Amino acid sequence: MKNQFDYIIVGGGVAAATTAKGLLEHRHDTSILILEAGPEIIAKDRRFWWDYITRGERPYTFTYDQKFEADSTGNIDYQTDGVRVKAYGGSTMHWGAWCLRFRPEDFNLFTNTGEGADWPINYEDLETYYNDAEAFLSVCGDDNANWVPRSKPYPVPPFEWTAADGEMIKAWEQLDVVYQDGDINPGTKNKIKSGKMPIARYRKCMTTGTCKYCPIGGRFNAQYVLDDLKNDTRFINFEVRINAPVHQVNASSKSKIESVTYTDNLSGNEYTVKGNTIILASGAYNVPKLLRASKNEFWKNGIGNDHDLVGRFVVSHSMLNVVGKAPSNPNGWFQEYDFPTLMSHSYNTKEHQKKGKIFMFKNRTTPNVDIAQLMIDGKTREEIDEIVYGEMTINIQAFLEEKGKYSNRLEAKPGKDRFGLPQTTVHFSRTEEEMKNANDRLKLLEQIIEKMGLEVISSRVDKPGGHHTTGTARMGTSPENSVTDKFMKVHDTDNLYVCSNAAFPTGSAVNPTLTLTAMAFRLVNHFIEKQTNQTNSKTNNVNKRNTIQECLSGESN
Amino acid sequence: MYTINLLNTQFMNTELTSIGGAVCNETLSAGLIFAEGQSLTHQNKEALWEIFEAIGASWANTIYNSNNQRSSWYEMLKAKTENAPNYAGEYVNAIYVINELKAMYGTEDAYKKLFFESGIDNNAPPTTRLAHCKIYVVNEFIRMQITAGGFKSWGTKYDGEQARNYHGFLGGTRYNRTPRVRAYNPDTNNHKNDQE
Repeated sequence: MKNQFDYIIVGGGVAAATTAKGLLEHRHDTSILILEAGPEIIAKDRRFWWDYITRGERPYTFTYDQKFEADSTGNIDYQTDGVRVKAYGGSTMHWGAWCLRFRPEDFNLFTNTGEGADWPINYEDLETYYNDAEAFLSVCGDDNANWVPRSKPYPVPPFEWTAADGEMIKAWEQLDVVYQDGDINPGTKNKIKSGKMPIARYRKCMTTGTCKYCPIGGRFNAQYVLDDLKNDTRFINFEVRINAPVHQVNASSKSKIESVTYTDNLSGNEYTVKGNTIILASGAYNVPKLLRASKNEFWKNGIGNDHDLVGRFVVSHSMLNVVGKAPSNPNGWFQEYDFPTLMSHSYNTKEHQKKGKIFMFKNRTTPNVDIAQLMIDGKTREEIDEIVYGEMTINIQAFLEEKGKYSNRLEAKPGKDRFGLPQTTVHFSRTEEEMKNANDRLKLLEQIIEKMGLEVISSRVDKPGGHHTTGTARMGTSPENSVTDKFMKVHDTDNLYVCSNAAFPTGSAVNPTLTLTAMAFRLVNHFIEKQTNQTNSKTNNVNKRNTIQECLSGESN
Repeated sequence: MYTINLLNTQFMNTELTSIGGAVCNETLSAGLIFAEGQSLTHQNKEALWEIFEAIGASWANTIYNSNNQRSSWYEMLKAKTENAPNYAGEYVNAIYVINELKAMYGTEDAYKKLFFESGIDNNAPPTTRLAHCKIYVVNEFIRMQITAGGFKSWGTKYDGEQARNYHGFLGGTRYNRTPRVRAYNPDTNNHKNDQE
C-alpha cells in the first residue's frame, strides 16, 4: 500500500473534494490521499429513497454524534447530536445547501465592534473565489439582489417564492424597520428586504422535497465529486481510504509535519502515511481535537497550540424562532418546497453587528399539513379537508450571529466514538447581554408575525446548534491571536493546513459552507502558486547551475 | 416483572386488534417478517394493488384514478422486495389479513375497517398480523400514494389552486414548462430590492 503522497487530506467532505479536484485539475498526476473516518453510504439508491418516503428513514443518520459521544457544559445547552454526518461526502450528505456569502463587515468584526475577531483577509480577497464556489456548487440565486458586491451573476436562476411567502413579504414591506442604509453604498438607501434564498441545486433538480436524501443527485454532494475523481483515468495517483480515522499528526521538526497515523477500522491495523503537505479538512469539531492530540517533542501541548488557543472561540448560530397562527388557511397553502425560498438581510448589516446580526427567513416547512399522516391516523376526507383549510401556522426564523469568546471551547473528552474519533465536549456560555440582545431580536420577529395578522403562539431562542460551528482553529495574524495564518496554514509550520470552518474567525449570520468552499478554492490557488514558485526556483537553480557549469567548462576549455 | 410485561403487551398492539379474527390477531414479533430470497407472484401483486386502489377510493384523492400511479407503485414494490430487508413476507401477510377481513365484512367494509377503525397504534411496535399489515403495508402505501400525486386533490374545495408539490413528488425538472409550485407573484413595486 502506497504510503507517500504529495498531499494528505484528512476528512472527506466538501473542503476535501474541492481541494482535491482543484489540485488534480491543475496537475493530473498529483498524488493525493483522502482519509475519511466514516463509512461510505450509497447515494441515489432507490430503496433508500423509498424507505425515506415511506418510513422517514435516512441511511446516514446512524453516523450522527449521539448524546453519549458529544455533550456540552456551560449556561446553555449546545446542540451536538445530529448535526454532522461522519461519512464519505461528509455533511453534504444531508445539508440544506443554502449558499449565502459572508458580507464585507463579517471580515472586520473586531474593528467594527471591539468584540470577536477580524479576518486576516477581506471580502475583496475572497470575492472571485465566491464566484468559483457558486459555479462549483451550482447556486440558484437572484441577480437583482444587491446586498453584497459581486463580480459575476449567479450560475443558475433562483427558485420562486411560494404563494405562502406572500403575506410575509407584504409584512416586511410595511414595516419601516426593513429599510436600512445600504452598506455597499452608504447613503444610497438601498432597500434590503425580501430576497430569494440562494440555494445550491443542479438544473436537474425535481424539487421532490426529499433533499435530505436526493433520489437523483439534484443537489451538490461531495460524494459525487469524489466518485468522479476516483473514476477519472487521468488522476491515477488519487486515492480515498474510508473507515480510516486519523488520530495523530506527526512532526519531524517544529516546522516540518511529516505524516499522519490512522487506524483501519475494518482490520484494526494502524498505519502511518507520509505527505509533503497535510490538510486537515475534517471540520470544526475534529480539527482542534486532532491538533491537540498531536503532542510531540516539538509541540508539547499539541500542534499549533503553544498559546493554548486550539479549540477556543467556538462560534455558532442560535436560532430565533417565532410561530404565528391564523384561524384559517382558505387557500390551502403549504410550503411546497422543503427549503426556504424567502429571506431577508435587513438585520444582517454592519449597523446591527454590535448587537448581533440576524439573518431572517421564512421557515422551510410552514405552513404545512402532513396529509398522509392524517390518513394514516384514520382521519376521513372530510376531517382532513377541515384541517387543510383550518388553522395555519407560519414560522419566521433567524440565525443570530455570535462572537467568539476565549472561554468557549471545544475539546476531546475521554473515549472514542463508534468511528474511532475522540468524543467531544463543548464548553459554551452566553453572557446576559447576549441573552438580552437575542430576546430583543425576537421582538422584531414577533412584529413581523403580528403585521401578518397572525397571533404569536411561540417565541423562543433555540439552543446554539453545532451545524454551523466555526472558529476552533481560527485564522489570524500571529500565533498569539490565532492558530492559522491567512492561508489557513498552522502558525510555525511549513506544511500543515486547516481547510475547515474551524479556521473562520467569525461565523457571520449565515450558513458557512459557501464560504468554506470559496476558501478551499483560494487554498488551491495558494498551492498552485507555491508549486509554480518552486518550479521557477528549481528552473532558476538549474539555469544558475548550468551557467556555472558553462563558466567552469569555459574556464577549463 | 409481570406488571411490566402486561404494560408492554398493552402498548405493543396485541390487545387492540378488535376488528379481526384468528388471522388478524395472531401474534408476531415486531420486526419485519423474514423473507430473504422470496418474491411475489403476479396474484400477490394484484391483491396488493387492490389495497392500493382502495386507498385512493376511500379518500377520493386520486385525480383520475390510481392507474396513473401504477408504474411508481410497481417500482416501489420492486425496490422493497429485491433489496434487503425484503418486504415480501409483509406483503403476503397483508393479503392474509385483508382476505380475513373481507370474509368477515365484505370487501367495501373490510377496507373501511382497516383504514379507519383498525384500532392500531401507529407509533407502537406491531405485534399482530393486523398491526403488521397496517404499519408496514397500509401506512407505507398511503405515503406512497400521496407522494405519487394524491396530494393534488386537496386545495380545490373553495375553487382554490391545487398544490403542485409535495414531499417526494417527482414533478420533472424545474426547467420544464410546468410551474413547480404555487408561486407568489408580487406587484412590481413591492418585490424588488429597488433603490429610492
